[in-house]
Amino acid sequence: MLLESIKRGDTVLEAKGITKRFPGVLANDQINFEIKAGEIHAILGENGAGKTTLMNILFGLYQPDEGEIYLYGEKVNFKSPLDAIEHGIGMVHQNRKLIPAHSVIENIILGHPRAGNVLNLKRAGKEITELCDKYGFKIDLKAKVWQLSEGEKQVVEILKALYRGAKILILDEPTSALAPPETKRLLESIQIMTNDELAIVPFITHKLPIVLEVSERVTVLRRGKVTARLETKDTTEKSLAREMVGREVIFRMERVEVEKGKPILQVENLSALNDKGVLALKGVSFSVHEGEIFGIAGVSGNGQQVLAEVLAGLRDAEGGTLLFDDINILHNSSLERWLKGIGYIPSERVDVGSIGDFSLVENVAMNYYFDKKYAKGGVVDYKKIRKLTEEMIAEYDIAAPSPDTTAKSLSGGNLQKLILARVLSRKPRLLIANLPTQGLDVGASEFVQNKLMEAKKERAGILLISEDLDEVLSLSDRVAPMYEGKFMGIIPGGEARREVVGAMMAGLKPKVDEI
Amino acid sequence: MKLGSYEIKLEKRVALRGWEATAISTFAILFALVVFSFVFVQAGVDPLTGYKEIFSFAFLSSFGLPLTINRFIFLLLCTYAFIIPMRAGLWNIGMAGQLYAGMLSAFAVAFAFGGKGSQGLTLSPGFVIPLMIVAAIVGSAASGAIAGFLKGKFNTNEIVVTMMINFITFWVVARMIKEGGLFMGSSGEGEGFKLSEYLFAPLIKGIPFTVFIALGLGVLLWFLFAKTKLGYQIKVYGKNPIAAKYAGISPSKIPVMVFSLGGLIAGLAGYHYFAAVPGVYKITKNYGEFGDLAFYGIICGLISQGNPLAAIPIALLFGGLTNGGRFAQGKLKLGFGIDYALLGVLMITLVAFQFFYRYKIVFVKTEKEK
Repeated sequence: MLLESIKRGDTVLEAKGITKRFPGVLANDQINFEIKAGEIHAILGENGAGKTTLMNILFGLYQPDEGEIYLYGEKVNFKSPLDAIEHGIGMVHQNRKLIPAHSVIENIILGHPRAGNVLNLKRAGKEITELCDKYGFKIDLKAKVWQLSEGEKQVVEILKALYRGAKILILDEPTSALAPPETKRLLESIQIMTNDELAIVPFITHKLPIVLEVSERVTVLRRGKVTARLETKDTTEKSLAREMVGREVIFRMERVEVEKGKPILQVENLSALNDKGVLALKGVSFSVHEGEIFGIAGVSGNGQQVLAEVLAGLRDAEGGTLLFDDINILHNSSLERWLKGIGYIPSERVDVGSIGDFSLVENVAMNYYFDKKYAKGGVVDYKKIRKLTEEMIAEYDIAAPSPDTTAKSLSGGNLQKLILARVLSRKPRLLIANLPTQGLDVGASEFVQNKLMEAKKERAGILLISEDLDEVLSLSDRVAPMYEGKFMGIIPGGEARREVVGAMMAGLKPKVDEI
Repeated sequence: MKLGSYEIKLEKRVALRGWEATAISTFAILFALVVFSFVFVQAGVDPLTGYKEIFSFAFLSSFGLPLTINRFIFLLLCTYAFIIPMRAGLWNIGMAGQLYAGMLSAFAVAFAFGGKGSQGLTLSPGFVIPLMIVAAIVGSAASGAIAGFLKGKFNTNEIVVTMMINFITFWVVARMIKEGGLFMGSSGEGEGFKLSEYLFAPLIKGIPFTVFIALGLGVLLWFLFAKTKLGYQIKVYGKNPIAAKYAGISPSKIPVMVFSLGGLIAGLAGYHYFAAVPGVYKITKNYGEFGDLAFYGIICGLISQGNPLAAIPIALLFGGLTNGGRFAQGKLKLGFGIDYALLGVLMITLVAFQFFYRYKIVFVKTEKEK
């Protein structure tokens, strides 16, 4: 079949009986699916369902053990991603693979066969500008990548694939790091692209509703198998989640009403520098009460991380006051804060929250070695901590063969459960949860959210930092959208409207009557 | 790779048990000895005779064994001086400087209380000897603490700092024992004064009592890392300083702590060699050689992977080989440097075999073709 003669609705790619085994794991088990020209075909599945493996096979990174791939009716056998690219398959990875110090245009033409040894930036610039105009992308080609927002970087990745002539575009978690307005713009562009008979295949674990808005068909994977092939119009968010997880998932967490207690944390005009020495937290004031979830909504990099670190005692403040239980703790060390009852769940669960080479017991000890009940006279009671770890594994349903397993062998969701179990077991009076469900699939996210709600019931004050607008809105009693180191306001959670909070996250001041 | 109906594969080890590590190291030593036999053959010596001379002198002769033991104590202490910062992910290259600092402090005490040669002691030896040890500990710990403080406070590279302190201390020793320095010996031949015989460290069956300190420290350090809160903090910091900070561990305290402790133990090595080994009892002209020998502590520490108990047999082996190798070289009229060559081969093999700490070779029976 000639590329030019492809019409909307023709099958462009067909996978038959794809099977891929890894030692001890059947990652893909007889997967069949097809993609048609001009459609957006979502592939749903939890972490570990086999999506990544499938995607890597389509993109030539892995070769399947069994099964065949047909492209435009012809059997193909991709030996490498370069092969796949030459056949018109483009892929945008979740972790952006761009060079921050280079400009947008340099990144786009990097590795392009036509770039050669002498760069013809002028011609490339003209062609890329045409692509942008056609699909409605707005981007400054001369800007350096490090200056771009996450959404803009995503656009650069997409342009890169398109410029290399991609006819089938695979997107891995395309909206996971984007603010709502950026997501909206991206989805609009994606829809325009399909007019050109481009097939677009987003892989998704979370944020079901947004992408389902635009997709026409959905294939659901669970444990390496296709469990459902559906027309999007016949589905609901709930039914898709059920297919994906294999059980009912509660979407809107019922906000438990707990009588609000006295303020446990009072923050006044707090400011701090980031690692580059730039003022990244610019005077925020708020309080968190007992039995309250105070949500901070915002796109990463707007000062949330700095705020969390200052509160946890991991970063010095530039100014302001910080009262915990009416006592100034601004100059307390992180250890003193743990001992006072401030628990911190860091966003970097691998690099900060745990130690990969350590056993689970030793990881649990991170929050217990200083506890007199678990370490008498300078000697750590590892037996007791081991027992505690076993209890956590049972209660939190952590998939680990034994407490002696190393933390690095746990999946992201299980590691997060361990950290959550460890921090919550200290019964903190104030819990700082920084992106607690980031990168987790629907099932694990739900678990974590439930546990936060339980902690609230036990009258802990909780500061929830999240990029996921739905999560913040459904869990929080009050929400503060954060933009460039400042709160754009503090709104009661129940009344907050999605669009308003989304706009505030992007730096827009709401009109009074909108709130 | 295929071998008959079996396929040989490398498989990543999930966990390494103690006996597996021991077996791998033992096999590495045997392998090194086999490899080195070729050097003996090349030199026209029967390898078995060569090894017999080395080992029987080092471990069986009444003259060689005490030398081996003295070296062993010295090496073991240097190894511990290296291991403690190593567990915190930091490199102590300053054992030489620290042991000189300990040595100088101990001799300063002896000097202050009239322990120089035949002068009369102004206090009883029962008081001065412990004071010398305490001085050695404090002096060397202070020397180590400098690197630790700079690391914790300003994130200065500890390797560079400890290295520099080595040079500085080396020359301070030279200033003290040569050309009219305070500690110059009566002969004026560039060595320090001889200790009053009242200040000779006690011997137990001809062996300096410091052997108990060294072995006792082995057990103590094992306990430190396996059971104590401080040991846990050091390990967390060593694996990930940022996670350590999150867990409430002070990122400035740990470097000071480990370098003080490491330095303290290096100081004991200085005290041991220059004030407790029979026949020495002075800062010798060749003190620089012992500074160099201290670097074997790094090798022993790396081979034992920071395990204080595993360091004991390794330090004993290296102590014996440095000693027996030199002896055999003279007796069998081998070329210069052959003793170092043996140590070199051994080190490389031991380090190379640590590959098997992470991987194991498995034989898989291949399925018959369909």
